[in-house]
Parts: sequence; C-alpha cells; structure tokens
Amino acid sequence: MNKSAYTRLAAIATTSALVAGCAAPQNPDPRDPWEGFNRGVYKFNDTVDRALLKPVSQAYVFVTPEPVRDCVHNIFSNAGEVWSAANSFLQGRGHDFVNTLGRFMFNTTMGIGGCFDVASANGARKIPNDFGTTLGVWGLGQGPYVVLPLLGASTVRDTVGLAGDVTGNPLGMTRIDNVPLRNSLWGLRVVDTRASMLDTTKMIDRVALDPYSFIRDAYLQRRAAMVLGSRATDESNLPKYEDSDNDPDLTPIVK
Amino acid sequence: MRLSLFLPLHRLLLTGVLGLALAGAAQAHPDSSGPPDQFVLATANAALDALKDNGRIKEGDAQHINAIVDQYVLPYVNFQKTTRLAAGRHWRNATDAQKTALADAFRGTLVRTYSGALIRATQDTTIQLLPFRGQPSDDDVVVRTLISQANGQPVQVDYRLEKTPQGWRIYDVNVEGIWLIENYRNQFSQEINQNGIDGLIQALNQRNQ
Repeated sequence: MNKSAYTRLAAIATTSALVAGCAAPQNPDPRDPWEGFNRGVYKFNDTVDRALLKPVSQAYVFVTPEPVRDCVHNIFSNAGEVWSAANSFLQGRGHDFVNTLGRFMFNTTMGIGGCFDVASANGARKIPNDFGTTLGVWGLGQGPYVVLPLLGASTVRDTVGLAGDVTGNPLGMTRIDNVPLRNSLWGLRVVDTRASMLDTTKMIDRVALDPYSFIRDAYLQRRAAMVLGSRATDESNLPKYEDSDNDPDLTPIVK
Repeated sequence: MRLSLFLPLHRLLLTGVLGLALAGAAQAHPDSSGPPDQFVLATANAALDALKDNGRIKEGDAQHINAIVDQYVLPYVNFQKTTRLAAGRHWRNATDAQKTALADAFRGTLVRTYSGALIRATQDTTIQLLPFRGQPSDDDVVVRTLISQANGQPVQVDYRLEKTPQGWRIYDVNVEGIWLIENYRNQFSQEINQNGIDGLIQALNQRNQ
C-alpha cells in the first residue's frame, strides 16, 4: 500500500467518523474528550475489520498449521526486541535492557532466527516496550485518548511514540528496500497480529457491555502499568475503589 | 504496530480469567485462613490437576465447564464485592432487590468469561508464585502469579484478596496491568446514566441468554 492509499483511507475514516460521531457522549470521561469522534473511527475500524481483516485472519488460521503460525509470530516478535531493549535503556531500566538483549541473542541463534522462543521456554519472559512508554517514563502525560484509523486505540503521546517506533526500530519494516518484499511482510504481519487476537475479540463480543469503553479502559490501564513498570503492583498504585458499604460518607467521585 | 497492544486484552480475557477460575476451582479444600499466596497457589494447582484429568475440558464442553465454574469458583470469589465496587457510587442508590439482581446478572458475565477461559487450559499449563510483597498482618493483599503455557508467552496474573471471617476471598484480578473491576466501572456507570440500574441489570441479563 503506498502513501496516497493511506491518505485516502485516512480521509474516508475521518469523513465517516465525522458523520457517525456527532452524538455527544452520554458519560463523558475526562481522559477521552474526543469520544464522539473516536467512536466514529472505532466504528469505521470495526467495519473494516469485520469485512476484511477478520475473515482473512480466520482463513489464515484455517489453512496454516499452528507451528508455522507460531514461528511467524515469534520471528516478528523477535525482530522487535532490539528496539524494545533500546527503550528499556532510554528509560533507565538496565535490568530489562540486558534481559531483552539476551533474549534477542538467544532466540536469534538457538531459536533459529527467532522462529522458536527458546528464551521464554527457559524462563526469560518477554518484556514489551516501546517509545510511547519511554515518553511516559520521561514525564510526558498521555494526553487525550484517540482511536487511530486502522491502528486502533492510542493516546496523543502514544501516537507520537508510534512515529518514533516506526522510524527508530533498527529492524523495522522501513529498513527493507525491496518494495514487494516489504509490502508482503507488512501484510503477513497485519494478518499475524489480527489472528493472534481472534480469541480476544470473540471474548470482548461476549463479555463487554460497550466494547468501545471496554477497549479504551483496558488500553489506558495497560499503558499506565507499562509506564509504572515494576512499581505497578505497589500498594500505592493499586486502584482505590470507592466502597460505599464501608464508607457511606465518602464524597462521590465523578470520573 | 499499535494493534499489538490489544494482546493484553487477549490475556485478560483468556488466560487471566483462567487463572482466577483455576485459583477458585479446588477439589481438595485449600487452607483459606493461611498465607494468601499459598492459598492461591494450592487452589490453583489442585484445580489445574483436576482439569488435566478431565478429558471433557479439552473437548470444550461449555455446559460442563459452566458447571465446574459454578461449583468450584464461586466459593472463593466474593462476587458481591466485585459487583459493588464496579457499581461504585451508584451502589448506594440501589434498592436491596436491585443489588441482589445486579450481582446475579454480573455473575453471569463473569462465569461466562471464566468458562471461555477454561476451554484454553492444556496439559502444559503451569502456575508459579512471584515473590509476595505484602505484610503478614495485611487484610487486603495482592498475590502475584505467573501462568505458563507451552506455546505462548507466560502471563502475569495478580489477584486481590481480602480477609474475611471465612478466610481469604478473591475480589479482583489483574492481567498484565489491567484490573477487572476498573475495566467495568465506566461501562456500568454509562449504562446506569442512560437507563438506570434496572437498565444495567437488563443489559447484563440479555448477555446471559
């Protein structure tokens, strides 16, 4: 897909978002001031997904043996490790930096180019990281929540981070000069990513009252936890639920 | 690619809740008045062994799994508290009948989530404890565990427990940074603001059918 195709898609998404997103939200969340617009983009993404991405991914899962799919998934994951490690370094998380580099070297060699995640099998878990998290660790606030066309949940900060990820990743797709190869890999990566989420989206359909809110709140929680890193489970960072049974005089917290 | 950030959701819904379900589904009765981390681990392992023994789990017999969840999970999970905290300030405005109906309706959602998760349990699933950070005297603690599967990344699942006269009870679960209650608060509030508490109960019950 070339740049003008992206531009066209973005234009379609924006238009449909504006058309669909006029209704004012019933339950405004201060973290999501652009909810009307975001819901429009969400709806657009969902339509594209149900019409195209999901069926293609289901077909991919149907025709491809699981070991092959695991291999593809692991290779993409492994190619992202150097950039993850760089971000751990930038965040001053030396332990994560060393562990992620170790994972990359072990999986690239013993795991045959990342096809097998032998590091995880030996107890070295993957430590996901990216530039949006780095910006958060450096003190940049997340900014308003935003749903990006085709890419989904994000925030203003994470969108900037995403641009950093695309340009910064030394093993990123943009490093490949052969255009047909690069585009094929992009396609495979998109299908791989979507295929790995098939069970998730099925469950969201089953359990979420409002999938838009469900995904937004999960995304924001997850990103906040990534910025906190190992401090996320400290007592001071646990959610403080207002419990009206134990404290009837508590002032209602308006979110 | 930002899409990959949805992967934790996958874990929240499938593995994490699996963890909670496993933690609750014990055949032998673990000591719920002892140390909370040992209680979670003992329950989880007993349940895991039972699941591995049971061939019907692998076939994905949803009704059977529903029954297991109903029978083994509920005794160790304080669904009332989970529901109360998810409803937040709206809980106070509910009548007693509405509170009961709401907890029952939400329990359906949670059980369905657990059941979907149990279908994913395999022979290779193992659970280990991560170091416990709480104090022995605490009555509200977080127990951190790691669930490993053969063909995927291990997933960190944390449980929030409170000490009750009957022993430790789980009331919240966290998967890779996402707390379950926190994730339902906005949805509850949204539905209540639009259609009232009865509207929320109705919406939950519709999903239960």
